[in-house]
Amino acid sequence: MNHSIIKKITQAIAFNIFRIMSVILVAILFSILAFIVYRGASYITWDFITKMPEEGMTKGGIFPAIVGTLSLVAGSMIVAFPLGVCSGIYINEYAPENGFKRFIKLMTNNLAGVPSIVFGLFGMSLFVNTLKFGDSIIAGSLTLGLLALPVIIRVTEEALKSIDKTYREASYALGATKLQTIVKVVLPMSMPNILTGLILSIGRVSGETAPILFTVAAYFLPKLPTSIFDQVMALPYHLYVLSTSGTNMEESRGMAYGTALVLIIIVLILNLIANIIRHFLMKKIKHK
Amino acid sequence: MTHLEEELKELKQQVTKMFVLVHSQLEKSYLSLQNLDKDIAHEILMTEKRVNALELKIDLDCENYLALYNPVAVDLRYVLAVLKINSNLERIGDIAEGIARFVIDSSTTFSNELIMHTHTNQMFDVSLKMIQDAEDAFINEDTSLARIVFKQDVILDNININANNNIINFIKNNPDDLEQCLHILSTIRKLERVGDQAKNIAEEIIFYIEAKVIKHSRKL
Amino acid sequence: MIEAKNLNLYYGAFHALKDINLKVAEKSVTALIGPSGCGKSTFLRTFNRMNDLIPGVKIEGDIIVDDENIYQKGIDVDRLRKRVGMVFQKPNPFAKSIFENVAYGMRVNGISNEKVIKEAVEQSLKQSALWDEVKDSLKKSAYALSGGQQQRLCIARALAVEPTILLMDEPASALDPISTAKIEELIHELKKKYTILIVTHNMQQAARVSDFTAFFYMGSLIEYDLTKTIFTNPAKQQTQNYVTGRFG
Repeated sequence: MNHSIIKKITQAIAFNIFRIMSVILVAILFSILAFIVYRGASYITWDFITKMPEEGMTKGGIFPAIVGTLSLVAGSMIVAFPLGVCSGIYINEYAPENGFKRFIKLMTNNLAGVPSIVFGLFGMSLFVNTLKFGDSIIAGSLTLGLLALPVIIRVTEEALKSIDKTYREASYALGATKLQTIVKVVLPMSMPNILTGLILSIGRVSGETAPILFTVAAYFLPKLPTSIFDQVMALPYHLYVLSTSGTNMEESRGMAYGTALVLIIIVLILNLIANIIRHFLMKKIKHK
Repeated sequence: MTHLEEELKELKQQVTKMFVLVHSQLEKSYLSLQNLDKDIAHEILMTEKRVNALELKIDLDCENYLALYNPVAVDLRYVLAVLKINSNLERIGDIAEGIARFVIDSSTTFSNELIMHTHTNQMFDVSLKMIQDAEDAFINEDTSLARIVFKQDVILDNININANNNIINFIKNNPDDLEQCLHILSTIRKLERVGDQAKNIAEEIIFYIEAKVIKHSRKL
Repeated sequence: MIEAKNLNLYYGAFHALKDINLKVAEKSVTALIGPSGCGKSTFLRTFNRMNDLIPGVKIEGDIIVDDENIYQKGIDVDRLRKRVGMVFQKPNPFAKSIFENVAYGMRVNGISNEKVIKEAVEQSLKQSALWDEVKDSLKKSAYALSGGQQQRLCIARALAVEPTILLMDEPASALDPISTAKIEELIHELKKKYTILIVTHNMQQAARVSDFTAFFYMGSLIEYDLTKTIFTNPAKQQTQNYVTGRFG
């Protein structure tokens, strides 16, 4: 057979396999989403979002859980973002090329692979017990922050590395110091990529159950927190409780779907906000 | 104006200087011939050194311009034309020098009658006019003026063709003036060549401005 | 007064510059030419100690800038770099507004008087022949400019800290012919005020813009002379082979 025909057929087969795979993927994602929307949409009312849970969580809303999750996301990012970015800067810009640097990088990568329940146990023993924070937003935020840290460090490092050295040289050539160069030139240019890491972390942090299990999450607490040392409810844990150990599981089944839908929507909205910021920054620094 | 254009302008000024210098050399040779003014003739010989030096300078400028700026299209034709115009002008300078040498060698004054009879005066006038027109055509990039230069060459050719007969007639009547007559005949031959050089210059001007090669063709 | 005396440079064990002696003429353009890897860029970067950033570089010999050996102990490198501006191969404006790009060098050097900065920015943009094109959009991102405009912005940025020497590392190699012509014209203007060293791969460019040309080959300075001489009658056969394209 003609060689070019074989090439064309091989190409057609390969492309069709890729196409089918992506269609399957999208189909799975959409069916999960559609299922949750179908089962949960009818529960989403203004009251559901803004009211306290009542009667052993079979009635009322999930307001404290929403507030809890949002404050945990915010808290963990306040912890992880500066710490992660600074570590990333240190590793990429200052750490000398030696065994110690390789060791740090190896540990960072390992940390990213540690199961989240281990973070939960670590957070409990360090923040809740040793530092005596008790079950609290601060303990949960710190634990979730640690979970997000490796990703942010890695992303920062890669983002800094991807900035062409000619920008640094241009800054040095004008008599700028290394710190001035990093803060005023390199960091602003890598911000969009660092924010991509932040988006990924927000998604992960807001959906985690295990790390907050022993550090912050309340089973049933129909009031809002007044300080960072209070316990709160959180959407993922609330969802877990509703579907496994509620007072009346059959009654609360629908609420569980509603909660899941709210969680998904919150993650989407947070991603959207971060993406808008990223897009705005990109536009500012993107080459034509 | 870009600095490349400045370089070209500078080159043009040099060539214009060469035109003026050569024109004045020929004019002076006419003057010295009319009055057998040997001082002017010697002055011409001195100035000829300047003409040669200027020729070398323009050649060097052209070489540098070609090497450094790699001109193309009209700029390239311009530099090529300047190279040839430069060498044509230098030859006109040589001719003026040659005429000056006749004046220095000659022991007696050239008689007015001889000059009139052979139309040598007219020949000087026409060739000086041709050089002037070529210079103006070069400075103003005027190709119609360059074409007028060709037409004037016909006058020189006619005088040159009749020169033998004119001189023979004159010798028959004045057999003592033989030396004078030979100098005048040589001068006429030289002035005919000035016409050819001026024509060549006009051709180069038309070549660089219109990108037309009219050498060896009758069409204008 | 800029001069290299018995300059040797090593990248680890690699001998990249071999015993270079060269006096640069002030307020003129000196082009450094030669095949890739001949050391011309490395040589250029010794004048603002940009090679210091590369680990494993060892330098012997002197570089004299304004009667001062810039490799002696106790030299303030940041101050040196203020005196020796640099323009790079690819236009590399910072992710800032046009104004802030030009102001950057002053800000990092501790100038905070906004009036002074504003005047210097305008002056630098005028000198780099960009002012008329950007005077109404100084607040816009530098990336809104075309490649050629960005490169002129980078030149303005370098001029704003008032250097006396400008190093240009193939400043037009990433630009289209029209922008290249503008940069070359600008270089011709700038040499009235600055001493310019330019590395270029483009021999015609070296011929067009420079007054002096230095030909490098395998880390050695083969020939250094008037550009006219290098391109019409070079003294060395190697130079002749390179400028005529008969290399190797």
